Amino acid sequence: MRDTLRWSYALNQWNYRLDVFVRHEDQQRALKTVSACGFDHVELASGTGRWDNIARPEVILLNHGSHQGFLDFLRRARVQGVSSMFWDPQAPAEEEEGYAFRSTADPADHDAIVEWARPLVDFVAGVGAEQLVVRPVGSAWMSPPLDADGIKLVGEVWNRIGELTSAAGVGLALHYDCLGAVHTADELRALLAATDPATVGFALDTAELTVGGIDPVAFYREDAERVTHVHLKDTRYADTGEEYRMPGAESTMLKGGAGRRIERWFFELGTEGGLVDVPGFVAALRERDYGGWVVVESDHGGNPAELAMLNSWYLQHELGIPKR
Amino acid sequence: MTGADERRIKWSYMDHWRSDGPAGPVDQWHSHRTMSAFLKQVKATGFDAIDTFDFRIWQMYGDYGGPAKYQEMVQDHGLERIVNTFHAADYDVRTYAPHLPETHENILEDFRVTMGRWSEIRLDNIIVMPATLYYDMEPITADKIKYTAECWNKVGEITAGYGVRLTCHHEFFCGIQSEPDLETFYSHTDDRYVSLFVDTAQHCIASVDPVAFYRRHAHRVSGFHFKDTRNVATGDDHRHRPDSEIMAPTTGKWFYEMGTPHGLVDFAAMMTAVRDNDYRGWISVEHDKANKEGGDYSESTAISRWYAKNVLEEIYR
Repeated sequence: MRDTLRWSYALNQWNYRLDVFVRHEDQQRALKTVSACGFDHVELASGTGRWDNIARPEVILLNHGSHQGFLDFLRRARVQGVSSMFWDPQAPAEEEEGYAFRSTADPADHDAIVEWARPLVDFVAGVGAEQLVVRPVGSAWMSPPLDADGIKLVGEVWNRIGELTSAAGVGLALHYDCLGAVHTADELRALLAATDPATVGFALDTAELTVGGIDPVAFYREDAERVTHVHLKDTRYADTGEEYRMPGAESTMLKGGAGRRIERWFFELGTEGGLVDVPGFVAALRERDYGGWVVVESDHGGNPAELAMLNSWYLQHELGIPKR
Repeated sequence: MTGADERRIKWSYMDHWRSDGPAGPVDQWHSHRTMSAFLKQVKATGFDAIDTFDFRIWQMYGDYGGPAKYQEMVQDHGLERIVNTFHAADYDVRTYAPHLPETHENILEDFRVTMGRWSEIRLDNIIVMPATLYYDMEPITADKIKYTAECWNKVGEITAGYGVRLTCHHEFFCGIQSEPDLETFYSHTDDRYVSLFVDTAQHCIASVDPVAFYRRHAHRVSGFHFKDTRNVATGDDHRHRPDSEIMAPTTGKWFYEMGTPHGLVDFAAMMTAVRDNDYRGWISVEHDKANKEGGDYSESTAISRWYAKNVLEEIYR
């Protein structure tokens, strides 16, 4: 997309089962789809193991030989580069101590998590991406609520990783998600206050905030200086019953296993009944001269190609953003 | 297209489609919502218009209020218009078979009525398969081809009266599909009234080189279906009832989007020929039955358009 804002597209939705996004020709089809929709940068999501070969730095480099080799692979599909990479240190990875289970809320795990971050930081810098986007804390249902001191402890590990990213010339952006132990606007602001604005930014996800009961437009207007990364998507629902606290909320809430039986929370831009004021949010970005990436994503909301095309149509025809 | 600012080539999408809806797999005509999603996706990747099927006119009347009203919806989504319609006749040798002169008046009357129905919008072409299914026409004789040509010369006069070109599209299971029969057919047709619509995959499947065929007849080519195939019809693939495209024993899926691995169509040569002949106007992209064997219409559509932009438009600027 050609605009004063910089647009990227997240590839996470293609990887809906661990064996479906492995072959390079399938990755090329996704990249060409994104390119045909007018996006020339992509966001990667980290993963693990031999089937996640566009999601793990070590495997990407084995496949393509070098950072430049991977960029050449992207450019075969006319995708020019990587905007960002998403990483959740709470999701155990084979490459990180063999699926060790660690938490940013536990100071005893901090040294290990900092070490885990290094290959990701190196890769993000190596491919010329700008942001390492991270899930700052695990799911709320998995541990007792965080108090103020607990949130400060979480902030400490991200300050350490922020020093790593800054030294490598890239940004670190803490991504709010609707199941996280940092859930309310006050908790989110406490986490941002516990981190160094010079090295740790905020990745504002419009749908995740909305599901979590936080107005993304209002939040952005109040905290724009901390927002260094954006995920733009819509939702039709808000978690009005504190379903995020249900045991196994990833399944019981987000996959419709219990509660209201909502199987799909995330939707393409322009969806009927969408709760996100997308034009208002994009206007707010422009008002504050937002300079980061705007990553459009669908996050397992349906057919990946269909959703990329619908998102592209919305940007072109509802927001007036021309394709490159 | 006219005018200095008009692009010489524009891309239209032939409206095959399937998607997953809340009620299971549906085509885009299932509801206004699915139609809207279809049109958005076609437009998003850079198509400028759509082609459609003649039999959709009933849904245009029933669901939208007629072709003009439906076209308004198309235009509301950013597309220019409906460019071509495919008159997919169910040929029946009892009443409707171009190689049988006794059925010609039925065919002519069909087109008089059909063109009237479409007259509220501007069409470039009405596309036909110009012969019955192969198994209903064989043996293919010179006389049968001549009768067929005479039929379409008359039909072409009718469509020309509505400002629409009658254009012939030769499926591999059509009675007229081999190179000698194609040449005989076009030698009997009047190029004022009968045009040619080159389907790159269908010709390849029938062992006809679409590029060479196009170069020989470029002066009367009024459009294209750009799609690829990985297989050539062998044995009696072209004579299976009721529809060889579905029933042929050798191949479960005939059609693929442009740029597919192991594709038989030389699109670079095809586009070079299009450029060399200074063809101006619409090229239609098609990949019927793209969802077979795990395929996906949305993805195939995006990848086709990617190929058109990044490979073919580099040849014909």
